[in-house]
Amino acid sequence: MTRRSLIKKMLMAIAAALCAWPVIGFIMPVRYRPPRKVLIREKLPKGSFLIEPEFVLFASETGPVAVSRTCTHLGCTVSFDETRKQFICPCHQSMFHWNGKYISGPAQKDLPRFEVKTSEDGKGYVVLI
Amino acid sequence: MRIEKTGEIATAALLISALSGFLLAYQYEVAEPFISATAIETVIPFGAFWRSVHFWSSQAFFLVLILHIWQCTGSMDRFCRHRKGRIHWTVVSLTLPLAMYALFTGYVLRFDGTGQAAGKIAEHLLLNVPIAGSMLDRMLMATSTEGLNRVYTVHILFTALCWGLGTWYHTRRVIVGRKIFLYTLTAVVITGVLIHAPIDLPGQNLHLIKGPWFFLGIQELLRHMAPITAGIIFPMIPLAIVALFPWLRKRSGIYSALAIWSSVYIIATVVTLAR
Repeated sequence: MTRRSLIKKMLMAIAAALCAWPVIGFIMPVRYRPPRKVLIREKLPKGSFLIEPEFVLFASETGPVAVSRTCTHLGCTVSFDETRKQFICPCHQSMFHWNGKYISGPAQKDLPRFEVKTSEDGKGYVVLI
Repeated sequence: MRIEKTGEIATAALLISALSGFLLAYQYEVAEPFISATAIETVIPFGAFWRSVHFWSSQAFFLVLILHIWQCTGSMDRFCRHRKGRIHWTVVSLTLPLAMYALFTGYVLRFDGTGQAAGKIAEHLLLNVPIAGSMLDRMLMATSTEGLNRVYTVHILFTALCWGLGTWYHTRRVIVGRKIFLYTLTAVVITGVLIHAPIDLPGQNLHLIKGPWFFLGIQELLRHMAPITAGIIFPMIPLAIVALFPWLRKRSGIYSALAIWSSVYIIATVVTLAR
Protein backbone atom coordinates (compact mmCIF):
# COMPACT_ATOMS: atom_id res chain seq x y z
CA MET A 1 0.00 0.00 0.00
CA THR A 2 1.43 3.38 -0.98
CA ARG A 3 1.45 6.40 1.31
CA ARG A 4 -0.98 8.17 -1.01
CA SER A 5 -3.54 5.35 -0.90
CA LEU A 6 -3.15 5.04 2.88
CA ILE A 7 -3.86 8.76 3.34
CA LYS A 8 -6.81 8.47 0.94
CA LYS A 9 -8.27 5.57 2.96
CA MET A 10 -7.73 7.42 6.25
CA LEU A 11 -9.48 10.51 4.87
CA MET A 12 -12.38 8.34 3.69
CA ALA A 13 -12.64 6.74 7.17
CA ILE A 14 -12.71 10.21 8.78
CA ALA A 15 -15.37 11.35 6.29
CA ALA A 16 -17.45 8.23 7.04
CA ALA A 17 -17.13 8.86 10.79
CA LEU A 18 -18.17 12.50 10.30
CA CYS A 19 -21.24 11.36 8.33
CA ALA A 20 -22.12 8.72 10.94
CA TRP A 21 -21.85 11.16 13.88
CA PRO A 22 -25.06 13.16 13.24
CA VAL A 23 -26.94 9.93 12.41
CA ILE A 24 -25.91 8.12 15.61
CA GLY A 25 -26.27 11.33 17.63
CA PHE A 26 -29.88 11.60 16.46
CA ILE A 27 -30.77 7.95 17.03
CA MET A 28 -29.17 7.33 20.44
CA PRO A 29 -30.94 9.73 22.88
CA VAL A 30 -33.81 8.28 24.91
CA ARG A 31 -36.59 10.80 25.51
CA TYR A 32 -37.34 11.15 29.24
CA ARG A 33 -40.56 9.46 30.23
CA PRO A 34 -41.78 9.90 33.82
CA PRO A 35 -42.81 6.76 35.76
CA ARG A 36 -46.29 5.68 34.78
CA LYS A 37 -49.04 5.37 37.40
CA VAL A 38 -51.46 2.47 37.02
CA LEU A 39 -54.67 3.03 39.00
CA ILE A 40 -56.50 -0.02 40.35
CA ARG A 41 -60.04 1.00 41.27
CA GLU A 42 -60.84 -1.79 43.71
CA LYS A 43 -59.67 -3.04 47.10
CA LEU A 44 -58.50 -6.64 46.94
CA PRO A 45 -59.51 -9.01 49.77
CA LYS A 46 -56.52 -10.53 51.61
CA GLY A 47 -55.08 -13.55 49.81
CA SER A 48 -56.47 -12.55 46.42
CA PHE A 49 -54.64 -11.16 43.40
CA LEU A 50 -55.20 -9.19 40.19
CA ILE A 51 -53.39 -9.94 36.91
CA GLU A 52 -52.48 -6.82 34.93
CA PRO A 53 -50.52 -6.72 31.62
CA GLU A 54 -47.31 -5.52 33.31
CA PHE A 55 -47.57 -6.88 36.87
CA VAL A 56 -49.61 -9.04 39.22
CA LEU A 57 -50.93 -7.30 42.33
CA PHE A 58 -51.22 -9.50 45.42
CA ALA A 59 -53.09 -8.57 48.59
CA SER A 60 -50.67 -10.36 50.93
CA GLU A 61 -50.77 -10.60 54.73
CA THR A 62 -48.16 -7.84 54.95
CA GLY A 63 -49.85 -5.53 52.44
CA PRO A 64 -50.16 -5.09 48.66
CA VAL A 65 -47.27 -6.45 46.55
CA ALA A 66 -46.92 -5.74 42.80
CA VAL A 67 -44.62 -8.23 41.07
CA SER A 68 -43.35 -7.38 37.58
CA ARG A 69 -44.28 -9.74 34.74
CA THR A 70 -41.05 -9.04 32.84
CA CYS A 71 -38.81 -12.11 32.93
CA THR A 72 -35.28 -11.38 34.20
CA HIS A 73 -33.79 -13.68 31.54
CA LEU A 74 -34.73 -12.06 28.21
CA GLY A 75 -37.70 -9.87 29.01
CA CYS A 76 -40.66 -12.06 27.96
CA THR A 77 -43.96 -11.52 29.77
CA VAL A 78 -44.34 -14.25 32.40
CA SER A 79 -47.70 -15.96 32.98
CA PHE A 80 -49.18 -16.53 36.43
CA ASP A 81 -50.23 -20.11 37.16
CA GLU A 82 -53.13 -19.59 39.57
CA THR A 83 -53.24 -23.18 40.83
CA ARG A 84 -49.55 -23.46 41.65
CA LYS A 85 -49.18 -19.78 42.60
CA GLN A 86 -46.11 -19.52 40.39
CA PHE A 87 -44.92 -17.41 37.50
CA ILE A 88 -43.82 -19.27 34.35
CA CYS A 89 -41.96 -17.73 31.43
CA PRO A 90 -43.48 -19.00 28.16
CA CYS A 91 -40.27 -18.41 26.20
CA HIS A 92 -37.64 -20.41 28.12
CA GLN A 93 -39.64 -21.83 31.04
CA SER A 94 -38.02 -19.98 33.96
CA MET A 95 -40.18 -20.27 37.11
CA PHE A 96 -40.74 -17.92 40.06
CA HIS A 97 -42.76 -18.00 43.32
CA TRP A 98 -45.79 -15.70 43.57
CA ASN A 99 -43.63 -13.12 45.38
CA GLY A 100 -41.12 -13.04 42.50
CA LYS A 101 -38.48 -15.30 44.09
CA TYR A 102 -36.55 -17.28 41.47
CA ILE A 103 -37.16 -21.07 41.43
CA SER A 104 -35.62 -22.54 38.27
CA GLY A 105 -34.67 -21.97 34.63
CA PRO A 106 -32.21 -19.71 32.84
CA ALA A 107 -33.41 -16.44 34.46
CA GLN A 108 -31.31 -16.81 37.67
CA LYS A 109 -32.71 -13.58 39.21
CA ASP A 110 -35.91 -12.71 41.11
CA LEU A 111 -38.69 -10.78 39.38
CA PRO A 112 -38.58 -7.11 40.39
CA ARG A 113 -41.38 -5.44 42.33
CA PHE A 114 -43.12 -2.13 41.71
CA GLU A 115 -44.00 0.45 44.34
CA VAL A 116 -47.67 0.26 45.44
CA LYS A 117 -49.58 3.02 47.25
CA THR A 118 -53.17 3.28 48.39
CA SER A 119 -55.14 5.53 46.04
CA GLU A 120 -56.16 9.02 47.22
CA ASP A 121 -59.78 8.03 47.81
CA GLY A 122 -58.63 4.92 49.73
CA LYS A 123 -60.72 2.65 47.52
CA GLY A 124 -57.92 1.17 45.41
CA TYR A 125 -54.20 1.21 44.64
CA VAL A 126 -51.69 3.14 42.57
CA VAL A 127 -48.81 1.12 41.11
CA LEU A 128 -45.75 3.06 39.92
CA ILE A 129 -44.13 1.47 36.86
CA MET B 1 -32.52 -24.85 -11.52
CA ARG B 2 -29.98 -22.35 -12.87
CA ILE B 3 -28.40 -19.71 -10.61
CA GLU B 4 -29.88 -16.88 -12.69
CA LYS B 5 -33.37 -18.36 -12.31
CA THR B 6 -33.22 -18.56 -8.50
CA GLY B 7 -31.94 -14.99 -8.42
CA GLU B 8 -34.86 -13.92 -10.59
CA ILE B 9 -37.39 -15.75 -8.40
CA ALA B 10 -35.88 -14.20 -5.27
CA THR B 11 -36.19 -10.72 -6.84
CA ALA B 12 -39.78 -11.42 -7.92
CA ALA B 13 -40.70 -12.64 -4.42
CA LEU B 14 -39.06 -9.56 -2.86
CA LEU B 15 -40.98 -7.29 -5.23
CA ILE B 16 -44.30 -8.95 -4.32
CA SER B 17 -43.39 -8.79 -0.62
CA ALA B 18 -42.53 -5.08 -0.83
CA LEU B 19 -45.66 -4.16 -2.82
CA SER B 20 -48.01 -6.12 -0.55
CA GLY B 21 -46.19 -4.60 2.44
CA PHE B 22 -46.83 -1.06 1.16
CA LEU B 23 -50.48 -1.94 0.75
CA LEU B 24 -50.73 -3.33 4.31
CA ALA B 25 -49.07 -0.15 5.62
CA TYR B 26 -52.21 1.81 4.64
CA GLN B 27 -54.18 0.01 7.37
CA TYR B 28 -51.43 -0.96 9.84
CA GLU B 29 -51.08 1.31 12.85
CA VAL B 30 -47.79 1.20 14.69
CA ALA B 31 -49.33 2.69 17.89
CA GLU B 32 -51.89 -0.13 18.03
CA PRO B 33 -50.07 -2.98 16.32
CA PHE B 34 -52.04 -5.99 17.51
CA ILE B 35 -55.45 -4.32 17.14
CA SER B 36 -54.65 -3.11 13.62
CA ALA B 37 -53.10 -6.48 12.62
CA THR B 38 -56.21 -8.28 13.91
CA ALA B 39 -58.46 -5.79 12.11
CA ILE B 40 -56.56 -6.39 8.87
CA GLU B 41 -56.90 -10.14 9.40
CA THR B 42 -60.59 -10.21 10.34
CA VAL B 43 -62.51 -7.05 9.43
CA ILE B 44 -60.94 -5.15 6.54
CA PRO B 45 -61.91 -6.52 3.09
CA PHE B 46 -59.07 -8.52 1.49
CA GLY B 47 -56.96 -7.89 4.62
CA ALA B 48 -56.34 -11.58 5.35
CA PHE B 49 -55.48 -12.13 1.69
CA TRP B 50 -52.91 -9.33 1.57
CA ARG B 51 -51.40 -10.44 4.90
CA SER B 52 -50.99 -13.94 3.52
CA VAL B 53 -49.47 -12.69 0.27
CA HIS B 54 -47.02 -10.54 2.25
CA PHE B 55 -46.19 -13.37 4.65
CA TRP B 56 -45.64 -16.07 2.01
CA SER B 57 -43.77 -13.89 -0.47
CA SER B 58 -41.40 -12.85 2.33
CA GLN B 59 -40.85 -16.49 3.35
CA ALA B 60 -40.30 -17.38 -0.33
CA PHE B 61 -37.76 -14.57 -0.75
CA PHE B 62 -35.77 -15.71 2.29
CA LEU B 63 -35.75 -19.39 1.32
CA VAL B 64 -34.95 -18.79 -2.35
CA LEU B 65 -32.21 -16.34 -1.33
CA ILE B 66 -30.58 -19.09 0.77
CA LEU B 67 -30.88 -21.49 -2.18
CA HIS B 68 -29.39 -18.87 -4.52
CA ILE B 69 -26.42 -18.27 -2.19
CA TRP B 70 -25.91 -22.01 -1.80
CA GLN B 71 -25.86 -22.45 -5.60
CA CYS B 72 -23.40 -19.58 -5.96
CA THR B 73 -20.93 -21.15 -3.52
CA GLY B 74 -20.52 -23.96 -6.08
CA SER B 75 -19.45 -21.49 -8.76
CA MET B 76 -17.26 -19.45 -6.46
CA ASP B 77 -14.20 -19.58 -8.71
CA ARG B 78 -16.17 -18.08 -11.60
CA PHE B 79 -17.38 -15.10 -9.53
CA CYS B 80 -14.50 -14.46 -7.18
CA ARG B 81 -11.34 -14.92 -9.22
CA HIS B 82 -10.33 -11.33 -8.51
CA ARG B 83 -10.34 -9.23 -5.37
CA LYS B 84 -13.14 -7.05 -6.77
CA GLY B 85 -15.35 -10.12 -7.17
CA ARG B 86 -14.65 -11.22 -3.60
CA ILE B 87 -15.56 -7.77 -2.25
CA HIS B 88 -18.74 -7.87 -4.37
CA TRP B 89 -19.67 -11.25 -2.83
CA THR B 90 -19.10 -10.05 0.73
CA VAL B 91 -21.20 -6.90 0.18
CA VAL B 92 -24.05 -8.82 -1.55
CA SER B 93 -24.00 -11.47 1.21
CA LEU B 94 -25.27 -8.72 3.54
CA THR B 95 -28.70 -9.35 1.97
CA LEU B 96 -28.89 -12.53 4.06
CA PRO B 97 -28.79 -10.91 7.55
CA LEU B 98 -30.87 -7.97 6.23
CA ALA B 99 -33.53 -10.35 4.88
CA MET B 100 -33.47 -12.38 8.09
CA TYR B 101 -33.96 -9.28 10.21
CA ALA B 102 -36.73 -7.94 7.95
CA LEU B 103 -38.47 -11.32 8.19
CA PHE B 104 -38.00 -11.43 11.96
CA THR B 105 -39.35 -7.90 12.48
CA GLY B 106 -42.39 -8.94 10.45
CA TYR B 107 -43.23 -11.36 13.26
CA VAL B 108 -42.62 -8.67 15.88
CA LEU B 109 -44.83 -6.13 14.06
CA ARG B 110 -47.99 -8.23 14.27
CA PHE B 111 -47.45 -7.98 18.08
CA ASP B 112 -49.38 -11.08 19.13
CA GLY B 113 -47.99 -13.33 21.89
CA THR B 114 -45.19 -14.65 19.67
CA GLY B 115 -44.39 -11.22 18.25
CA GLN B 116 -44.21 -9.52 21.65
CA ALA B 117 -41.94 -12.23 23.06
CA ALA B 118 -39.72 -12.19 19.94
CA GLY B 119 -39.32 -8.41 20.21
CA LYS B 120 -38.42 -8.49 23.89
CA ILE B 121 -35.92 -11.33 23.43
CA ALA B 122 -34.29 -9.57 20.47
CA GLU B 123 -33.94 -6.36 22.47
CA HIS B 124 -32.30 -8.17 25.38
CA LEU B 125 -29.98 -10.05 23.02
CA LEU B 126 -28.85 -6.82 21.37
CA LEU B 127 -28.27 -5.23 24.78
CA ASN B 128 -26.06 -8.21 25.62
CA VAL B 129 -23.62 -7.35 22.82
CA PRO B 130 -20.48 -5.94 24.46
CA ILE B 131 -19.74 -2.20 23.90
CA ALA B 132 -22.05 -1.63 20.89
CA GLY B 133 -25.13 -3.26 22.51
CA SER B 134 -26.93 -0.08 23.49
CA MET B 135 -26.29 1.54 20.11
CA LEU B 136 -27.49 -1.56 18.22
CA ASP B 137 -30.63 -1.66 20.33
CA ARG B 138 -31.37 2.03 19.72
CA MET B 139 -30.84 1.52 15.98
CA LEU B 140 -32.64 -1.77 15.45
CA MET B 141 -35.21 -2.40 18.23
CA ALA B 142 -35.70 -0.18 21.31
CA THR B 143 -39.20 -1.61 21.84
CA SER B 144 -39.15 -0.91 25.60
CA THR B 145 -38.74 2.84 25.08
CA GLU B 146 -40.02 3.51 21.56
CA GLY B 147 -42.70 0.86 21.06
CA LEU B 148 -42.63 -0.50 17.51
CA ASN B 149 -41.63 2.78 15.79
CA ARG B 150 -38.05 1.74 15.13
CA VAL B 151 -38.88 -1.87 14.39
CA TYR B 152 -41.27 -0.67 11.68
CA THR B 153 -38.71 1.77 10.28
CA VAL B 154 -35.99 -0.90 10.15
CA HIS B 155 -38.42 -3.45 8.65
CA ILE B 156 -39.01 -1.13 5.68
CA LEU B 157 -35.42 0.12 5.51
CA PHE B 158 -33.89 -3.38 5.41
CA THR B 159 -36.36 -4.50 2.72
CA ALA B 160 -35.34 -1.46 0.66
CA LEU B 161 -31.65 -2.23 1.29
CA CYS B 162 -32.16 -5.84 0.15
CA TRP B 163 -33.76 -4.49 -3.02
CA GLY B 164 -30.95 -1.99 -3.56
CA LEU B 165 -28.19 -4.53 -2.97
CA GLY B 166 -29.85 -7.23 -5.08
CA THR B 167 -30.60 -5.01 -8.06
CA TRP B 168 -28.60 -1.78 -8.21
CA TYR B 169 -25.41 -3.22 -6.71
CA HIS B 170 -25.57 -6.92 -7.59
CA THR B 171 -26.94 -7.03 -11.15
CA ARG B 172 -26.97 -3.31 -12.06
CA ARG B 173 -30.53 -3.77 -13.29
CA VAL B 174 -33.80 -5.37 -12.24
CA ILE B 175 -33.78 -8.84 -13.76
CA VAL B 176 -37.28 -10.22 -13.41
CA GLY B 177 -38.84 -11.77 -16.50
CA ARG B 178 -42.60 -11.46 -16.93
CA LYS B 179 -43.01 -15.24 -16.83
CA ILE B 180 -41.01 -15.70 -13.62
CA PHE B 181 -42.87 -12.83 -11.97
CA LEU B 182 -46.25 -14.30 -12.90
CA TYR B 183 -45.27 -17.82 -11.77
CA THR B 184 -44.01 -16.49 -8.43
CA LEU B 185 -47.09 -14.30 -8.00
CA THR B 186 -49.40 -17.23 -8.79
CA ALA B 187 -47.56 -19.55 -6.36
CA VAL B 188 -47.68 -16.93 -3.58
CA VAL B 189 -51.34 -16.06 -4.18
CA ILE B 190 -52.43 -19.73 -4.20
CA THR B 191 -50.44 -20.43 -1.02
CA GLY B 192 -51.84 -17.25 0.54
CA VAL B 193 -55.42 -18.22 -0.23
CA LEU B 194 -54.94 -21.79 1.02
CA ILE B 195 -52.85 -21.09 4.13
CA HIS B 196 -53.48 -17.98 6.20
CA ALA B 197 -50.61 -16.03 7.70
CA PRO B 198 -50.50 -16.95 11.40
CA ILE B 199 -51.57 -14.69 14.25
CA ASP B 200 -51.97 -15.76 17.90
CA LEU B 201 -55.21 -15.08 19.75
CA PRO B 202 -54.85 -13.29 23.10
CA GLY B 203 -54.02 -15.82 25.85
CA GLN B 204 -53.44 -18.58 23.30
CA ASN B 205 -49.91 -19.40 24.42
CA LEU B 206 -49.63 -18.39 28.06
CA HIS B 207 -47.17 -21.06 29.18
CA LEU B 208 -45.27 -21.90 25.99
CA ILE B 209 -44.44 -19.63 23.09
CA LYS B 210 -42.71 -21.06 20.05
CA GLY B 211 -40.98 -18.33 18.07
CA PRO B 212 -40.72 -17.92 14.28
CA TRP B 213 -39.61 -21.16 12.57
CA PHE B 214 -36.10 -19.89 11.84
CA PHE B 215 -35.72 -18.73 15.48
CA LEU B 216 -36.65 -22.04 17.16
CA GLY B 217 -33.07 -23.31 17.32
CA ILE B 218 -31.88 -20.11 19.00
CA GLN B 219 -34.85 -20.29 21.38
CA GLU B 220 -33.75 -23.76 22.51
CA LEU B 221 -30.09 -22.77 22.84
CA LEU B 222 -31.08 -19.75 24.95
CA ARG B 223 -32.43 -22.20 27.54
CA HIS B 224 -28.97 -23.69 28.05
CA MET B 225 -26.38 -21.09 27.11
CA ALA B 226 -25.59 -17.43 27.89
CA PRO B 227 -27.62 -14.99 25.71
CA ILE B 228 -24.49 -13.59 24.04
CA THR B 229 -23.34 -17.10 23.01
CA ALA B 230 -26.69 -18.55 21.97
CA GLY B 231 -28.32 -15.43 20.59
CA ILE B 232 -25.47 -13.49 19.01
CA ILE B 233 -22.26 -15.49 18.45
CA PHE B 234 -23.85 -18.78 17.35
CA PRO B 235 -26.17 -17.29 14.70
CA MET B 236 -23.36 -15.07 13.44
CA ILE B 237 -21.20 -18.08 12.49
CA PRO B 238 -22.92 -19.06 9.20
CA LEU B 239 -23.46 -15.39 8.25
CA ALA B 240 -19.74 -14.71 8.75
CA ILE B 241 -18.82 -17.86 6.83
CA VAL B 242 -21.04 -16.87 3.88
CA ALA B 243 -19.69 -13.30 3.87
CA LEU B 244 -16.06 -14.43 4.00
CA PHE B 245 -16.48 -17.48 1.77
CA PRO B 246 -14.36 -16.33 -1.18
CA TRP B 247 -11.61 -15.10 1.14
CA LEU B 248 -11.18 -18.47 2.90
CA ARG B 249 -8.82 -21.05 1.44
CA LYS B 250 -9.94 -24.49 2.74
CA ARG B 251 -13.37 -24.84 1.11
CA SER B 252 -13.92 -28.43 2.32
CA GLY B 253 -13.40 -27.28 5.92
CA ILE B 254 -15.96 -24.52 5.40
CA TYR B 255 -18.58 -26.97 4.12
CA SER B 256 -17.90 -29.23 7.14
CA ALA B 257 -18.29 -26.27 9.51
CA LEU B 258 -21.60 -25.31 7.85
CA ALA B 259 -22.80 -28.91 8.02
CA ILE B 260 -21.97 -29.17 11.76
CA TRP B 261 -23.62 -25.83 12.47
CA SER B 262 -26.75 -26.82 10.50
CA SER B 263 -26.97 -30.18 12.29
CA VAL B 264 -26.80 -28.52 15.73
CA TYR B 265 -29.39 -25.96 14.66
CA ILE B 266 -31.79 -28.54 13.23
CA ILE B 267 -31.54 -30.71 16.38
CA ALA B 268 -32.19 -27.65 18.60
CA THR B 269 -35.16 -26.72 16.38
CA VAL B 270 -36.62 -30.22 16.62
CA VAL B 271 -36.23 -30.18 20.44
CA THR B 272 -38.17 -26.89 20.65
CA LEU B 273 -40.86 -28.22 18.30
CA ALA B 274 -41.24 -31.30 20.49
CA ARG B 275 -41.82 -29.25 23.67
